[in-house]
Amino acid sequence: MHQTTLWQKADVVARRCVPMTMTVFFLLFSMVPMHLPGVPSMAPMYTLMAVYFWSVYRADSFGYGAAFAIGVLEDLLIGTPLGSTALTLLLCQWVVFNQQKFFSNRPFPEVWLAFSVVAIGAGLLRWVCTGLIGSGSFPPIGDAVGAIILTIVTYPIIGWLMARAQMKLMVPT
Amino acid sequence: MARQTTGQITRLGTLKNLLQRFAFLSLIAITFALMLIGKADTVLVERARIAITDAVVPILRVLSQPANAIAESIANFRELAAIREQNSALRDANEQLLQWQAIAQKLESENRSLKSLLALVPEPTAAFVSARVVGDTGGTFAQSILVTAGASDGVGKGDVVTTGEGLVGRVLQAGVHSSRVLLITDINSRIPVIVGEGANRAILVGDNGLRPRLLYVGAKTSIAPGDKVTTSGDAEAFPPGIPVGRVARVQDGVIEIEPFVSRDKLQHVRLVNYGLAGILNATGAEARK
Repeated sequence: MHQTTLWQKADVVARRCVPMTMTVFFLLFSMVPMHLPGVPSMAPMYTLMAVYFWSVYRADSFGYGAAFAIGVLEDLLIGTPLGSTALTLLLCQWVVFNQQKFFSNRPFPEVWLAFSVVAIGAGLLRWVCTGLIGSGSFPPIGDAVGAIILTIVTYPIIGWLMARAQMKLMVPT
Repeated sequence: MARQTTGQITRLGTLKNLLQRFAFLSLIAITFALMLIGKADTVLVERARIAITDAVVPILRVLSQPANAIAESIANFRELAAIREQNSALRDANEQLLQWQAIAQKLESENRSLKSLLALVPEPTAAFVSARVVGDTGGTFAQSILVTAGASDGVGKGDVVTTGEGLVGRVLQAGVHSSRVLLITDINSRIPVIVGEGANRAILVGDNGLRPRLLYVGAKTSIAPGDKVTTSGDAEAFPPGIPVGRVARVQDGVIEIEPFVSRDKLQHVRLVNYGLAGILNATGAEARK
């Protein structure tokens, strides 16, 4: 009879943690000062990209709890009103989970197009949350639109990195 | 037999769906509860932010090394390219400064004798700490930086943060080994300032963009692009005279300021404790974040 050793169990757990670990890494990476002129006021939403990707391709290893934890962590670290990012990420994931039939075996351009719609919704929701829950005044809408465009444009790069990690490190579903 | 198995799988799927929906709704409820806690119990949320920041800053310190090294080498390369022109400009500046030095020395001795005549109480000396910027949490939704000095280095909430160019912001939360600095461009930042030669008073308000704006400007004031903006010292949150920026644009009553400190070049900052009580000790709008 085949018996799983402790190492094998640890290996399985570690592989299941890849989505969460990568998302936290992207969150920390987004906080590293890049010293690029103009970029700090319009940084892309890396965690949104990660939550979307893992919800589409690896829903088995990245549930609502993971998206919520990432959102709260981001709110605490970035200084955005507590709960605003968590709400955005949860709603993004809810949309993806409800459209699982649409996402199954779709070519990348269609998944990217769907991401664009999600990113627009998420960006606007965060913008509204920042104004309503935070200081009472809203950031410039132009910057929010800039952040949304930057997020959509950056998605293929981040998506490719996560796809590579999924193929190399995770067990196929 | 096969039909029975299919039925079991369908039931399991339904159960899983129900559980997932329950988890989603519960988490949404928790998120709204967190929003309320964030508004009501600022001390608790602030503690949580400090704890998380303190835990993450060592990682950011490592992650920021490559970007810092690249930025430094680019800056070095640029400096090397412009070294001749810079040298002649520095020589000219040096000559001018030597003249100013003579004037300053004369004024200093004059000042000293006048102070002794008036029996003036000296201003408290400011204590400062220098720190490296390891995190830039900025974006459209918040504008703050994380630095590598905290309460163990003598940093406290409300300390003024500057560089050689001017004002960066002030310490919003001081952890043990790290601090969060609220930038002057953040949507929660309010700074009393003086504009131009006419000494017009106003409040500098951030909006998470690159250029903060002036509010509460007097009706009969004349502010033009190029006017210098410095802290006024009102409300004792900042000492007077710290350079902030220049008026970049005046249009339809909206006055935009270009800060002297360019955010993308921020690598090291100075955290200064001027010993000001200020409005920060009160639980005001600033303590909300």
